[in-house]
Amino acid sequence: MTSTHQPSEFATSSVPPVWVDEQQMQNDQRQTTFALQASGIAKSYVIGGQSRPVLDGIDFQLGTGECVFLTGPSGSGKSTLLSILGLLLTPDAGELRLCERRVDGLGEVERTLIRRERIGFVFQRFQLIDGLDATDNVAIPLTLDGMNLAESRQLANELLCRIGLEDHRHALPSSMSPGQCQRVALARAVIRQPELILADEPTAALDSQSGQSVMELLRELTTEFLTSTVVVTHDPRIYHYADRICEMENGRFK
Amino acid sequence: MRWNLAYRTLFHDRGKLIAGLIGVIFSVVLVNIQGGLFFGLINKASLLVDRSNADIWVGHRGMHNVDFAHPIPERWRYVVAGIEGVHDVEPLRVEFGEMSLPNGSFENVTLVGVGETTNLGRAYSIVDGPADALDRHDAVIVDQCDDDKLKTPRIGELREVNGRRVRVAGKSNGILSFLVTPYVFTNYDSVIDLTGSDPSETSYLLARLKPGVDGVAVCRAIEQRLPDVSAMTADQYASVSINFWMTRTGLGLSFGAATMLGLLVGLVMVGQTLYAMVLDRISEYATLRAIGLSERELLSILTFQSAMVAILGIVIGMGITIFLQMLLSTPRATIEIPFLLYLGCAGLIFAICLFASGLPYLRVRRIDPHTALQS
Repeated sequence: MTSTHQPSEFATSSVPPVWVDEQQMQNDQRQTTFALQASGIAKSYVIGGQSRPVLDGIDFQLGTGECVFLTGPSGSGKSTLLSILGLLLTPDAGELRLCERRVDGLGEVERTLIRRERIGFVFQRFQLIDGLDATDNVAIPLTLDGMNLAESRQLANELLCRIGLEDHRHALPSSMSPGQCQRVALARAVIRQPELILADEPTAALDSQSGQSVMELLRELTTEFLTSTVVVTHDPRIYHYADRICEMENGRFK
Repeated sequence: MRWNLAYRTLFHDRGKLIAGLIGVIFSVVLVNIQGGLFFGLINKASLLVDRSNADIWVGHRGMHNVDFAHPIPERWRYVVAGIEGVHDVEPLRVEFGEMSLPNGSFENVTLVGVGETTNLGRAYSIVDGPADALDRHDAVIVDQCDDDKLKTPRIGELREVNGRRVRVAGKSNGILSFLVTPYVFTNYDSVIDLTGSDPSETSYLLARLKPGVDGVAVCRAIEQRLPDVSAMTADQYASVSINFWMTRTGLGLSFGAATMLGLLVGLVMVGQTLYAMVLDRISEYATLRAIGLSERELLSILTFQSAMVAILGIVIGMGITIFLQMLLSTPRATIEIPFLLYLGCAGLIFAICLFASGLPYLRVRRIDPHTALQS
């Protein structure tokens, strides 16, 4: 049985999430188009010569434009699930579909292409490229896609201006605050308007105010681009930004 | 963007970049200077030949080094002169002797006797003393670079060679023997007097060809007419003289080994630096892999960075080499760097840098994009 939180309003509500049961959630989701469908996902790591299951038959669906938070204690398998959903890891068993296309058995080259074209990542430590200024960091996904540098810089600049970083377009990551870095990382994740955004503890390295600001921006952009979002977080202060919260424990949903 | 990414990240970490550049520059300078010293040294083995103004050298069959001549009949000059295409022929004597020093000791010298009325064999140009210094009786010409060995002879100073009086009439500059014995130029006949050798014999016959004549064909014709001689063009004999020292002394091997060592040190430095740069950026590379950069694209970034380090290092290294060459090259320790050495060195080090990028590539291949989430 999967337990989920269902916040009453998204993005602006401070009301605690409401617990809903799995059946109700699945009924709701059947009426939507799924951006992501995972069924029976299992993953084990070999540690000290012994196989240790990290994910144990996870079923997970994500509606188009939906924002789902994965929560749970450390070691519960959140990040591993996020990696599998983002095609960074391959599951040992189970089936994964991204926008109706089965992607769990693809080779490395195809998975790389799908990540490039359809998935945006937001990392806990921003993971900006130190040698590139904000504009060039944001422009990376566009140029990977073949867009010329001038054009991609122009689009990146427009997005940076929009998210309030017009004065930091030429700033290196080392000269920006953590909040600004995460906004740049967010811009990098959404600039291609991917179908899916995966965020791994996006507010963990930020103070409360910056965290709220980043989450508001994330919801604003993903809503505008109709992007589905999965956020792994420990931060209860941002739970109200979720459409749904899935809590994990020992490789399963609670 | 990949190039922009490669370029910007490379130049962002200047400390690492400088460390990598130092490795390349070190290799470039070491290889070029080492090679230049080698060429400067080894070319002394053919200095007499190179500056002899002769097209063809005729000596005893099997001649292998210009300084070690075996006598041939002097009269054969007329046979050589009779070969079609030969313009003129002069004999040249190369003998060993002993010059007295002011302190009562002696210095072994290589006596070179040249004809009075020809420039064939006159490898020197006088920088101190009259231009016609050798026209004087008992005159000898020594080289300024041998001043230490010969105890700084002055113009007009009397010395003895093999117990006979000679007068230092002029000085040349930079005509140094590959042997430790200084060259002492004098008249052809004076050498006979000084060494007491057979006047009917000579060391070499030097021939000048008429314009447009094939030197190799003339050499073949000479050897047909005189089976006991070897006839070589000046270039051929210069190579033979150089090869003599190269093969019989292991000089080439020694310099080659030292040069290879320099290359190896450079390779290790470049490889290690590139590897360190990659290690520092593993997290960035993992991020790039996560957001869709393929392994091949990542490798191209790495290769581009290696190529940049190589090109920059080679250009700076060449500049330093030229500066050092101007600063340090002397007639005694000539640094002679042919264009081909520059070119070969640049090509080799460029290739080595690309090869060195293979080390970090092995690490990059193992980057798991999943680690971007674990940073």
